[in-house]
Amino acid sequence: MRILHAKRLQVALVAAAILALASPVWAHHSFTMFDMTKRITLNGTITSFEWTNPHAYIEIDVPDEKGAVKHWSIELGSPSILMQSGWKFNSIKAGDKLTLIINPLKSGQNGGFLSQATLPDGKTLNNGPRQEPPPAPTQK
Amino acid sequence: MNLKISIAALLVFAPAMLQAQSGVNRPDLTGVWGIYRGGPGSDATFRPPPPAPLVLKPEYDKPYQERRARESAAAQRGEQLDNTSARCIPYGVPSMMSIAVYPIEIIQTSKQVTIISEAFSEVRRVYMDRPQWKIEDVAPGYYGRSVGHWEGDTLVVDTVGIKPTVSGYRGMPHSPQMRVTDRLRMVSPEILHDQITIEDPVVLEKPVVYTLAFKRMPADYEMVEFVCDNNREYVDEKGIVRLKLHEK
Repeated sequence: MRILHAKRLQVALVAAAILALASPVWAHHSFTMFDMTKRITLNGTITSFEWTNPHAYIEIDVPDEKGAVKHWSIELGSPSILMQSGWKFNSIKAGDKLTLIINPLKSGQNGGFLSQATLPDGKTLNNGPRQEPPPAPTQK
Repeated sequence: MNLKISIAALLVFAPAMLQAQSGVNRPDLTGVWGIYRGGPGSDATFRPPPPAPLVLKPEYDKPYQERRARESAAAQRGEQLDNTSARCIPYGVPSMMSIAVYPIEIIQTSKQVTIISEAFSEVRRVYMDRPQWKIEDVAPGYYGRSVGHWEGDTLVVDTVGIKPTVSGYRGMPHSPQMRVTDRLRMVSPEILHDQITIEDPVVLEKPVVYTLAFKRMPADYEMVEFVCDNNREYVDEKGIVRLKLHEK
């Protein structure tokens, strides 16, 4: 009975650990879903700028060379991280025309992770500090 | 008259006299602290020492390593497995002390030290000079129950009552018996070290010890709110984290 109980506890703890395996290096998620080796440029018009946690988002309509419009969702860092690189909640707004350089989703869908934004006034903003893993705790 | 003067003097100087009697001037940890990595050329005494290895008991180590291998394989395929961060669940103790580049704020009074993490707005309340309860008397949660006391210039914080579903150090499993000890000490006026010891007689072969280093943020830094109300990640039927896109 005691062995059975111990086994049950072990199973429960391992199950708990499985959900808890998040890396604290990034507050929210890893960047596995984005192709960080690829950069593509989007020229378009913002439909909304969401200054939210765990991430900010730029929703943008991007016309192609034939005039057909495709909609893209672009993920940014969190407001706290973005503020470290000069962003404000009102840096951009719906209707602004922007040029975005992004790392696209590996799935091929119209989404990506911001690398750099060029604002209507020509100012460029990146996506917050590029963090190195902290000294401890580190992730293998 | 002389008696009145003496009483007045006592009232004015008593707090300072009591502190002098205790023999130490407590450092004031109050302020906002950012993670300090100590880049090239920085003073080695301020850099945290390397962490002690994480040694799990074999029955916990095997599934832990298997999980890490599955995570690596998924990453090779460009996928991320289900985890608490994709669900926007806070980190709890002790992981909340160091989340990415988010600072922590410490508010120190004689009776309570409050630690607030900017990421997820997590809060630890450390009750000073109170006895710790038995673990089984603490309602299991993300922050458990923390009590603190000073050992010279070091604030020692004892925490129990962390439930096993709370994200563990490097994803380690932990039991209700886990005990976390923070030893917070200013190694310079600008640098704070937190040596964290995790004990868990059920899961760990030996205690885990690692040290975090913090640097004071500029005095005018204002903590940013963090409420996870726009989480677009979701976990699909295969347990893979996906990004929800807005259709138009």
